[in-house]
Amino acid sequence: MLQQIAAVTMINLRSIPQRWGMSLATILSIALVVAVLLGFLSMANGFRATISGTGSDDVAVMLRSGSQAELNSGFGRDEVRLMETAPGIARDSADNAILSAELYVIADGRKRSGGLDANLPLRGVGSAAPQLRQGFTLVEGRMFAEGSNELVVGEGVIREFSGFDYGSTIRLGANEWTVVGVFSTGGTVFDSEIWADIGVIQNLYQRGGSFQSMRAQLTSPEAIEALRAFVEAEPRLDLEVSTEKDYFADTAGGTSDLIMFLGWPLAIAMAIGALFGAWNAMYASVDSRITEIATLRTLGFSGFPAFVGTMVEALLLALIGGIVGALATYLVFNGWSASTLAGASFTQIVFSFAVTPTAVMSGIILALAVGFFGGFIPAIRAARVPLLAVHG
Amino acid sequence: MNDLTLIRKGVFRKKVRATLLILSILVAFLIFGVLGAVNAAFGAGVDTAAANRLVTVNKINFTLSMPYAYYGRVRQVDGVENVTHANWFGGYYQEPRNFVQSFAVEPATYLAAYPELQFGEGQAEAFINTRDCLAVGADLLTQFEDWELGRRIPVRSNIWRQQDGSDTWEFEICAVFDGEQDNVPANYAFFHYEYYNEALQFGSDEIGWMVINTTDPSVNDQVIADIDEMFVNSRAESETTTEGAFNQAFVEQFGNIGMILTLVISAAFATILMIVGTTMFLAISERTREIAVLKTLGFSQPRIFTHVLSESVLLSLIGGLIGLGLAALFVSVAAAALSAFLPGLSMSTETILTAVAIMIGFGLITGLVPAINAMRVQIVDGLSKS
Repeated sequence: MLQQIAAVTMINLRSIPQRWGMSLATILSIALVVAVLLGFLSMANGFRATISGTGSDDVAVMLRSGSQAELNSGFGRDEVRLMETAPGIARDSADNAILSAELYVIADGRKRSGGLDANLPLRGVGSAAPQLRQGFTLVEGRMFAEGSNELVVGEGVIREFSGFDYGSTIRLGANEWTVVGVFSTGGTVFDSEIWADIGVIQNLYQRGGSFQSMRAQLTSPEAIEALRAFVEAEPRLDLEVSTEKDYFADTAGGTSDLIMFLGWPLAIAMAIGALFGAWNAMYASVDSRITEIATLRTLGFSGFPAFVGTMVEALLLALIGGIVGALATYLVFNGWSASTLAGASFTQIVFSFAVTPTAVMSGIILALAVGFFGGFIPAIRAARVPLLAVHG
Repeated sequence: MNDLTLIRKGVFRKKVRATLLILSILVAFLIFGVLGAVNAAFGAGVDTAAANRLVTVNKINFTLSMPYAYYGRVRQVDGVENVTHANWFGGYYQEPRNFVQSFAVEPATYLAAYPELQFGEGQAEAFINTRDCLAVGADLLTQFEDWELGRRIPVRSNIWRQQDGSDTWEFEICAVFDGEQDNVPANYAFFHYEYYNEALQFGSDEIGWMVINTTDPSVNDQVIADIDEMFVNSRAESETTTEGAFNQAFVEQFGNIGMILTLVISAAFATILMIVGTTMFLAISERTREIAVLKTLGFSQPRIFTHVLSESVLLSLIGGLIGLGLAALFVSVAAAALSAFLPGLSMSTETILTAVAIMIGFGLITGLVPAINAMRVQIVDGLSKS
């Protein structure tokens, strides 16, 4: 029996070149289905990786209560001073709280693709800001000098937006700025930001002595509770405390889900279209070999090898299609940089498409499913070829 | 037996094959119809933009404000017929997830700026004359069960505070509006700037953006230049664009949605094109003998060419029209569910006409090579082939 199956399968596979047109169409159509699925999945994965890579457990973020996002928040210097005495916050060698009070303004940046303006976060920070971002390194140049019109720019901004290259001057509103440094935080959300001196931003944007967010280094992830209790017990503080990790999980989780919800139904709809195509191609394959199959049956072969032979052919075509689709997506999309407006921060987040092994597996499984369902009924037909067909 | 019968018989010569082809064509046009409607809904802001309407924002970014005095100065500019201003409120109802897209506006000029907003009898006047009125769009009103005309409701802001520290403004819903056409959004609300501004704890006497109606689109460029010139080197420089360009730039912030949708649609069509193309090729070469018989009976070459081409077009039209019909059904169901998020989701006549044109083109492309082959069949060869 195994020999029979092997023999019929070989006949099937060797005859593929005779029907190269339809076989190729099947392979390419399945490849396109897989490419569409992987395109969406890699977009969603890349976006999620950027968000979930941002934010640590032992950094606390404080915003004015009810504000939901830095953009809406605001508080005065008094609240910052109070927080510097709060429990649970780590202190440096000089016994100062490791705390950074920041301002968050949106400025226009020109996208490299399309040339239209999009929202970029311009963050006013003090000297503590870099140590509150894990993996912060200056890739080029230096930090801005205090009180100057100098900017340091995240890597992601440079990738997606024009005019922010190292050393260039850029006009935001009525003010000229010089880019004196480029920083990286290893692909987190902060790579999509522009930083300048907090005092300069307060002054140029008429924010007086106000701030929009505070970040503080916690002595341990558990210390967040002590900090929260302190804030709630102090009537002069109108703040909401969360870990940085929770803050990012809350603000931008929806976008990757949205991409997934778009990608899967589209890929499945296309897969159904390709399935009918594969079905059709396999019918043609069975039809073209009907005399051979009947001859084999006359020689004493059972119907089962004919069934297996056809299924193997269908699955093989699907697998090749799946691999071609996955490879093409990987070559074209993996690492592709893009940016979108996301989350309550209302600014662009730059991210890279990531073709992950899990996504590739999903694609191959979808391809095999198309091959399986496309091959099944034609395979049954092959198994049931009447002996008389030998005269056809 | 006339030509039409022959064509019909040709298409359904192998019923399973014809059905499978129709189904895969159906899927492609279903995708085309749905994505076409989504794309049009994203572009609605550009389509509904009035040619003589301009938007002035802070040059640094539209989320930054400008001094209230700018409003008075822009009114003096030549070619300006009407100016209004608005502020983003960051509103929500009861819980932060119940987002209420809402603006503080100058009432009378706002209504003048957007004549396509239609109110019930007397409601436009009621809005203008009621200090704490909230004018609510029909699609927003349906989001909250307890919202109705005449009701007083508290709306909270995630940005603004009143002098007493409260973040809640009380409003009476005294007007409900809807767009003149489906694609005019009605998923937001607006209220009096004065009512909001006089209570503000911080950030008072600032405006978010201005909307300008010019006397005629031909003066737009001049008006834009004059306004932006006025505020050069001030603390808040301005940037004025046409409403269409502003909306276009805003939609593009999410990414190049148009390009993504076009890529997906192209992939869907490429898939089906290959499947249908190769199958038609095969189907006609199987019929070489039959075609030879037709030729023997005196069918001319052009007539056979037309037959084969008509078959592929017919196939494409059957699958395509059913797919488009299903897409229309899907879109009309989804439109109701998504009215607050993506207003104006509907299948436009343009999408339908484009789809029909693609169906015909698709049929011609897939049928062309087989039709040429059929036309060239030599009677002797065809008949000798067993």
